[in-house]
Amino acid sequence: MMEANPLVCAVNLHKTYRRNADRVEVLRGLDLEVHEGEFISVLGASGSGKSTLLHLLGTLDRPDEGAIQFKGRRIDNLPSQERDRLRNQTFGFIFQFYHLLPELNTVENTLLPQMIAHGAWSWWWNRGEIRKRALELLDRVGLSHRLKHRPRELSGGEMQRAAIARALVNRPRVLLADEPTGNLDSANGQHIIRLLRELNRQEGLTIVMVTHNLDLVADTDRVVRLVEGRIEADPNAAAAFDTAMASK
Amino acid sequence: MYKLLLCWRYLKTRYLAMACIVSVMLGVATLIVVNSVMSGFSTKLRERLRAMQSDVSIESFGMEGFADPHGKMEKIRQDPFLGPRVEAMTATMEVFAMLQYSWPNGERVSRPVKLVGVNADERAETGGFSEFLVLHKDNPSFALPENLRKRFLADEERFLKQLAPVEPPKLLPPDELPSPAPPQVEIKIPEGIILGNLIASIRRKTSEDHPDKKREEVYFLNPGDTVVLFTVSGAKMKPVDARFVVVDYFKSEMSEYDSNFVFVPLPYLQHLRTMGDRVTSIHVKLKDYRTDARQVVDALEHLFPGEMLRVQTWEQKQGPLLAAIDIEKGILNVLLFLIIAVAGFGILAIFSMIVAEKTRDIGVLKALGASNGGVMKIFLGYGLLLGIVGASFGTILGVLISDNINAVEKFLSNITGGDIFNRDLYYFDKIPTNLEISMLVSVNLGAIGIAVVFSILPALRAALLHPVRALRYE
Repeated sequence: MMEANPLVCAVNLHKTYRRNADRVEVLRGLDLEVHEGEFISVLGASGSGKSTLLHLLGTLDRPDEGAIQFKGRRIDNLPSQERDRLRNQTFGFIFQFYHLLPELNTVENTLLPQMIAHGAWSWWWNRGEIRKRALELLDRVGLSHRLKHRPRELSGGEMQRAAIARALVNRPRVLLADEPTGNLDSANGQHIIRLLRELNRQEGLTIVMVTHNLDLVADTDRVVRLVEGRIEADPNAAAAFDTAMASK
Repeated sequence: MYKLLLCWRYLKTRYLAMACIVSVMLGVATLIVVNSVMSGFSTKLRERLRAMQSDVSIESFGMEGFADPHGKMEKIRQDPFLGPRVEAMTATMEVFAMLQYSWPNGERVSRPVKLVGVNADERAETGGFSEFLVLHKDNPSFALPENLRKRFLADEERFLKQLAPVEPPKLLPPDELPSPAPPQVEIKIPEGIILGNLIASIRRKTSEDHPDKKREEVYFLNPGDTVVLFTVSGAKMKPVDARFVVVDYFKSEMSEYDSNFVFVPLPYLQHLRTMGDRVTSIHVKLKDYRTDARQVVDALEHLFPGEMLRVQTWEQKQGPLLAAIDIEKGILNVLLFLIIAVAGFGILAIFSMIVAEKTRDIGVLKALGASNGGVMKIFLGYGLLLGIVGASFGTILGVLISDNINAVEKFLSNITGGDIFNRDLYYFDKIPTNLEISMLVSVNLGAIGIAVVFSILPALRAALLHPVRALRYE
């Protein structure tokens, strides 16, 4: 049973990319509601605006038109500082290419959002507790034996698990995953999805996952499809999409 | 916290940044070495100028000088403001002259000199005289010591004996009165003279093969030797001359003074120039120069109204020279700071490359909640860190070179085969250096400041990167 009020709500989103005279209208009045504790898959062809939607939901970018609300409060027009704080405290990001910082080891990469959240003094006084949290998460994602390793010394699956630990370290309300398995083999991909599902079920973490991989969406609560910059109106869109893809 | 961590990691992992550190280091080291050597020269020169000059001098504008110096000095002593502030005073006469003497091979040579008439005891009290005498530092005097006196008399008698014998007078008729006895030749001992060290000696290398290439002074005018001085009398400007005997040398280590100054007794010079009691200057030594100098100068100017006298402190007197050194130092500093500015452009270029290389990481940082200011601070902090590290190494290198500048100079001279530092020209046996804390601090701050300023632009570019565009950067 879903809650009546959505946790995240996108209303009539429009986004156009301009490069010189070229205009690419990516989102054309998109509406989406994400409820607390939901695990949503967003499907769509390449260039359909899946990543753009994720960036807008996570306040990394601003829509040209429309609004994004978090718990009923509009967040797309907030000043930069508040948007930074939202990205740090409320949203967690996972990227296809992991995006771990090569200069930092696994623990340091995981601690990065905490470092951003704390000033030097606050960090110094709470470092034990913060580090404990990061080590717990790394243990949970199965990286407790790779704490001091740099990203270049980790496999793709390990890097993605480190990225998940990093995304969770600040206890976000919403996890935005941009093709988290796109760069992994199927076994590792399945492992990551299982991990996300586990987090969703055990911790009530809300997850919005963009993916191409139809094999992975079965485990999610809801599948939405992006077509021509809008969410497919048909409630059985995922099934239709699945059938269409299967028939190809 | 992440800013510090990333600054530190970038410093450790970006070897390109080493180029920035090295350029800042070399700039700072160069500035420190040049400043310390210039400051060493300047301090040494200042010390010597200071040592040579009295605190305050009252001078006439011409060679004719002014009358009644003792009356003037008494008036100064009696003045309620000046009296308690004055420690010692002496009158001197300075005039140009020609000095003639003989080389060891007998050849006569003449050279222009600055002739100074002084009362040795009084002049010693005002400072800058007796401490520079080579032979009689403790007892400055123009009197000939007994051994020189005997040597002079013996030389003179030998000379007289060498003169051609005089024909004996023809015998007179017995009715005439006996002829008077031939006149006794009285040997008059001339006054003593103190010669500038470089007038009486030349500097020669001890040996070409000597590792230090040290030079020593070889004296060709020794105590007891005679010299002749030609100068002009007072008002009539008639040429006058006198013979003097060398009694001492004056060695201030200022080549300008040591190669020009000769000192003779003041009363004799006044007599020679038929000037009565006139002198050209009164030298005043103060009890507390720092506090009283300016007021004393003002008071002295008011004490002798209507008289054409110039009252100056030693700094005012040497003002153009001291100002020239300061200006030279200032200009050199500006030019040398351009070296660090060049290093700054290096930082700008390398930082721009690093920002481009780190674009995606910047996007990630922003996605994780880092603010524009936070990203900017990473790169400003990186610039600051590069500046601090470069300046620290530069300071160590600069101080090491400054402390061992003579060894460095010797090494470079050996390599190039020529004298990098001509000791004859500068008259210093060693290159003087003076490391001032204030200079070290300002050079370091300047270098670090330049490193930070030149990292502003790349830092700003990083801060203003759009997070989505940064994440998609390839």
